[in-house]
Amino acid sequence: MAEVLVVDDSKVMREMIVACLRAHPGLSFTHAASGLEAIERLSLRKFDLVLLDLNMPDIGGIEVVEFIRSQDKLRTLPIIVITTRGDEASRGRALGAGANRFMTKPFTPDALIAEVRGVLDGAVRAPT
Amino acid sequence: MTKRVELGDFVEAFIGEAEDLLRTLSAKLLATEADLRAGRQNPRAVRDAFRATHTLKGLAAMVGVEPIVAIAHRMESLLRAADDAGGTTTLPAMDLLLRGARELDRRLESVANGKPAQPPPAELIEGLDALDRPEAQRDRGTATRLELDPSIAAKLGALEHEQIARAIADGRRVVRADFTPSPARSEAGLNITSVRERLSRVAEIVKVVPRSVPASEDAPGGLSFALILVPTGTDEEVADAAGVASNELLTLSGGEGARAEPDMPGALPLDAFDEDEEGGRTQRANVVRVEVSRLDDAMERLSALVVARFRMAKAVAQLVERGVDVREVSALLAENGRQLRDMRAAILRVRMVPVAEILERIPLLVRGLRRATGKHVKVMMDAGRAELDKAVAERLFPAIVHLVRNAVDHAIESPDERRAAGKPEEGTLTISCFERSSTQLELTVADDGAGIDRERIAARAGVPVPESDAALLAMLCRPGLSTRAEATTTSGRGMGMDIVKRIAVDELGGEMQLRTRAGHGSAFTLRVPLTISIVESFTFEAGGQRFVVPVSTVEEILELDRTRAVRGPAPDRRERVSLVERRGEVVPVLDLEALFSLPRADPPPGKALLVRRGGEPIAFAVDRMLGQQEVVLRPLEDPLVKRVGIAGATDLGDGRPTLVLDLAALGGAALAGATTEPVG
Repeated sequence: MAEVLVVDDSKVMREMIVACLRAHPGLSFTHAASGLEAIERLSLRKFDLVLLDLNMPDIGGIEVVEFIRSQDKLRTLPIIVITTRGDEASRGRALGAGANRFMTKPFTPDALIAEVRGVLDGAVRAPT
Repeated sequence: MTKRVELGDFVEAFIGEAEDLLRTLSAKLLATEADLRAGRQNPRAVRDAFRATHTLKGLAAMVGVEPIVAIAHRMESLLRAADDAGGTTTLPAMDLLLRGARELDRRLESVANGKPAQPPPAELIEGLDALDRPEAQRDRGTATRLELDPSIAAKLGALEHEQIARAIADGRRVVRADFTPSPARSEAGLNITSVRERLSRVAEIVKVVPRSVPASEDAPGGLSFALILVPTGTDEEVADAAGVASNELLTLSGGEGARAEPDMPGALPLDAFDEDEEGGRTQRANVVRVEVSRLDDAMERLSALVVARFRMAKAVAQLVERGVDVREVSALLAENGRQLRDMRAAILRVRMVPVAEILERIPLLVRGLRRATGKHVKVMMDAGRAELDKAVAERLFPAIVHLVRNAVDHAIESPDERRAAGKPEEGTLTISCFERSSTQLELTVADDGAGIDRERIAARAGVPVPESDAALLAMLCRPGLSTRAEATTTSGRGMGMDIVKRIAVDELGGEMQLRTRAGHGSAFTLRVPLTISIVESFTFEAGGQRFVVPVSTVEEILELDRTRAVRGPAPDRRERVSLVERRGEVVPVLDLEALFSLPRADPPPGKALLVRRGGEPIAFAVDRMLGQQEVVLRPLEDPLVKRVGIAGATDLGDGRPTLVLDLAALGGAALAGATTEPVG
């Protein structure tokens, strides 16, 4: 069972993400409604994957990525950054800060599953 | 292959969250605008507006509402530029953004009503695009004197520096508190989210910076948060909220080392509006969004309990007849009845929404009207803690909008006229409401405008001048009454008072009142019930009259073949009862014409509604089924019109009351005297 931390300040968005991934077997989900909450949860428990929104209250997703990468025990934790169309400028910053993959809303369930599978299997695949 | 998730399933949830976001957006934009007018910037509100727009855009994109995405996208990039520039913006930009917010609201409403969202207005998009050009001027010149760890200081952006500079200039202090999460603290309910919420009540939170610390017994996660705060409460309160001892608070700047001193009473938050919003958000964290249908479901289950209790009471009565001592059971039964009543009240309470929340959209509306009319108007709203059933609120809101529009468009004079009349140039619109009783809300929309010119209106309607305000109101509520020669862009030709009356009086079963004084203004008062029952119903025609019957009570709609019906005998003073056979059951068919002494239909009814009373089927012949819709059920309170078989009245939208029938009760009463034995 892979533990996935879904970080987005929108509850509906978190639920949509989880619904998209229902078809992927062997995932269990934990929600975090803010970047700070995500960092707190990551410090207290082991996760296998983080799905991270970039634009959140308190601290933004980029800062969360930077913080995760600054922590020894989290250095290799896979992070998929999800953000809204038109924010492609953030793509470079997110990947530069150490995110593994970058997805743009709106996305289809299949595309998200493909990304998650790619990251969890450690396989490098071309973006769809 | 993988099964696709229908994102369309989320439309309902989307609308709920999008409404919240739009409310936040409007409030923040209005706050920014107000501050700009007062010569101040409001970087915090700009950032909040930016975030709300961004989140809304992302959600709309997921559910595929492109017009909302298009508008929100432009607004977002404008707000992003402002945020990048340390939260500085301009009035013309606010103007466009507020228009954008209105357009978003309009489209969201379409989606909520199951209609496609209109494409974005071209000039709005062009205007937003044009404003987005100028370079964002980065102003990081505000050097703040903070004794702060450089690794933390590096995390502070322009907005935070500005906030700190403002606090210090105001003679307030900046402090730091550290919170270290652990499983034990988490179990005790202390986590960064709850700490932040608690702190937001006693301090402005400038920034929270996560820091790696060596893992220890106290910091098992190797993590600690540094919270940079501007206290509004005492140090004790702040320390308590952060879960630390008060001597663990570090003063970073300001206040001349006044470490453990409580703040001066005058040192209130700079921006009361913003602070209110923060409070609101804290409260919302404890709010659950529930679909109304689930509450209805709970209510229905409760009804089943009530029925069961009724049957128990009957069983107990039978025991009494047999001479059994039932005192204890009776007491329990009475207690149970009280509990059921409380339960019902509790469920009804869940449906209540604060009136203040409903009125949140009014300032935005008035702002638009102000621009369209060139009048100066300020809005005062006082909803106190009054609450209203969501179903009532949704129906009432359009009526409030009409009254507000009328007040700005027709009642409040232009600045020149007002000055000439010796009034302040700015007119005042007041919306106030309170719970008049445990069942009724009173809401008043008042203005200090010219008052209603009864001579002119009477002349236009071609009737004598009404003497009382009540007569004037009745005249204003006549459908199609136009009060001015040309249509205005905002209110159209008339005042739409007929619509207000239809909503408040006919549909909701409330009352209306008018007070007006020439030269001094008018006040419209609506009194509406706090709750209403909404019933999914069939409408049908019998004997040339329309009736309504709750869908849940109808088991089946039968095709009547009169040639196969048999007639029952005609007992004294009773109508004959015809009988039909349905799946081996003999079903009496009653005529509503006969029961209500209505003219007979020709040709005779071809359909019948089948209901059950105590398990026994009864059918009612109807001329025509008209449709199915949700109606507001208004109980008939007047004992003179109360009658078995009539559940209440409703308005189907034409202003005429239509009876809602309880066919089972009606059938029971009608058959009580009739014999239903078939003859040959």
